[in-house]
Amino acid sequence: MNNYKYTYMAVLIFVAVSLASAVAAGLGFVSGNVAAVFGSFAFTAVLIIGFYHCRTCSAIDFIIKNLNNGEPTRIRKKNIRPLTPLGDAITEFAANSVQKAGDVEEQLTDLNLQIQLLQRQKQNAEAIIYSIRDTVIVTDAFDRLIMASASAQELFGFDIADAIGKPADDIIPDREFLRLIQNARRSNLFGVKHEVAFTTDGQERTYDCLISCVRDEKDITCGIVAVLHDITREKEISNAKNDFVGHVSHELKTPLASINAYAEMLIDGEADSQEKINEFCEVIQTQAQRLNRLIEDILNISRIESGLTKISRQPTSLALLMTDSLKMIESYASEKNITVNAQSPIIFDQVNIDRDMMSQVVVNLLSNAVKYTPRDGSITITIDVNDSDGLVHANISDTGVGIPPDDLEHVFDKFYRVEQNKKYAKGTGLGLNLVKQIVEKVHGGRVFVTSIPGEGSTFGFELPLALSRAAETV
Amino acid sequence: MPEKKVLVADDEIHIVQVVAIKLKNNGFDVITAESGTDALALALSEKPDILVTDFQMPGMTGLELIENLRKNPDTADMPVVMLTARGFAIEEEQREQLKISVCLSKPFSPRELLQHVQDALAEVASV
Repeated sequence: MNNYKYTYMAVLIFVAVSLASAVAAGLGFVSGNVAAVFGSFAFTAVLIIGFYHCRTCSAIDFIIKNLNNGEPTRIRKKNIRPLTPLGDAITEFAANSVQKAGDVEEQLTDLNLQIQLLQRQKQNAEAIIYSIRDTVIVTDAFDRLIMASASAQELFGFDIADAIGKPADDIIPDREFLRLIQNARRSNLFGVKHEVAFTTDGQERTYDCLISCVRDEKDITCGIVAVLHDITREKEISNAKNDFVGHVSHELKTPLASINAYAEMLIDGEADSQEKINEFCEVIQTQAQRLNRLIEDILNISRIESGLTKISRQPTSLALLMTDSLKMIESYASEKNITVNAQSPIIFDQVNIDRDMMSQVVVNLLSNAVKYTPRDGSITITIDVNDSDGLVHANISDTGVGIPPDDLEHVFDKFYRVEQNKKYAKGTGLGLNLVKQIVEKVHGGRVFVTSIPGEGSTFGFELPLALSRAAETV
Repeated sequence: MPEKKVLVADDEIHIVQVVAIKLKNNGFDVITAESGTDALALALSEKPDILVTDFQMPGMTGLELIENLRKNPDTADMPVVMLTARGFAIEEEQREQLKISVCLSKPFSPRELLQHVQDALAEVASV
């Protein structure tokens, strides 16, 4: 390496001497020929030095460009030979830089991979939270929204994309719920349960709300997770169950109270004649029968609702079924001098039904008509077949007391009784519910009622024609 | 000693009858009603010494009947024995507020009912 340095210095001295000779010749100190020879040498030397400088500069330029681009650089030493020490230093620097750049690049690649992994994990977590059916709200240590489920945006009416990062105050309108979140964060509580209610679209819904603090590795609270589970339906079922139990106990206890009281009266000798004894015994018997009917009705409804009823369908004329059922209430109707007009079937009205169950439907409707129709009234039974929709319609109309409009939509509910009509007849409020269950749940039909208070009511049902059903299966 | 008059109100005719027989057999004068509204009218017109009423009745419930009685000076202190097929229907606080002497769950014993009627009347007499 040093040889080149000396050569380079020798060349420079030679060029200087040549230039000095040329200048001396110019001034007349040496001959022109000598000056020309030295001048030529000097020119050639300048060309050589210029060439090497240019090549060295290009090499350095090449190195720098490659370094800028982050590309590995290898240069031939002969390209930088004239500036060997500088060239060596540059080459070493370039090599180190390339090595460092390679390390940095590797670290960057690792970091990028980690970032991608973290982003994917965050996206997965967001997707999981978003997909949870319950309402989920995740906030940070400053009560800003981090994540939320789809149901949360529906419940609180925000757009998740816009709401992320915003203070919970701005996106959750319910102050009470906000207070619960803030209290839980401040008090470092984990898994605190509350029952909260929100009104959306005018409808109140009840939620089981579980709020937990999120703690970091230093056990410092860094946010809140609130999970709201909609228990509206469960509450409705629970209330309905309580109502049902209340109704059932009331209905069961009423005849039982009579049986118990009259039996005790007999034991205590309170019946002072055989006539009284017989009367008490009759009450006990009729109340026991009433109790049995009630239990049967409850069991029938329960069996139908749970799908445990054995159904034996067979093609039956609905009009003939009506006529047979009518015989069961004829004496009751004649006691009140009520006229029953039944239409004679001259048309095909076969339906695939469980005869016993549909007979109960017709008897329940007919006995209700008699119960709520004053003396000397009338009941009309009509059956229509509609071939176009494949349905047979049965109507039982009476000239009874009628039903107020507000009660109409509830008359098929379990244990529902029209308050102002209770004085006309006893009942459990289960008969019409059983009618609805048998027609709609067992036979796929539909029940309906129309009424004008003081003028009468029409209860009816429609069932698919057997022919139509047969055609469907072909 | 004059017969004490008892008003028995229940929409279950058999219950009304059995209570009436038990009370009559034991020296009471009994008047009956099958609805809350009828019972209120009778209570105000006949001014019985005690009321035996069902909780659940058409038109006017037993509680509404008692609330109405308490508003009238003539019946404000009338002792009341209530019958109910819903054992949990009346809170203790409400029972005291409406001055209901006793609340009997159905099925009830006519013997016990008679005893409670006699006790309630005795308590009124001792005041």
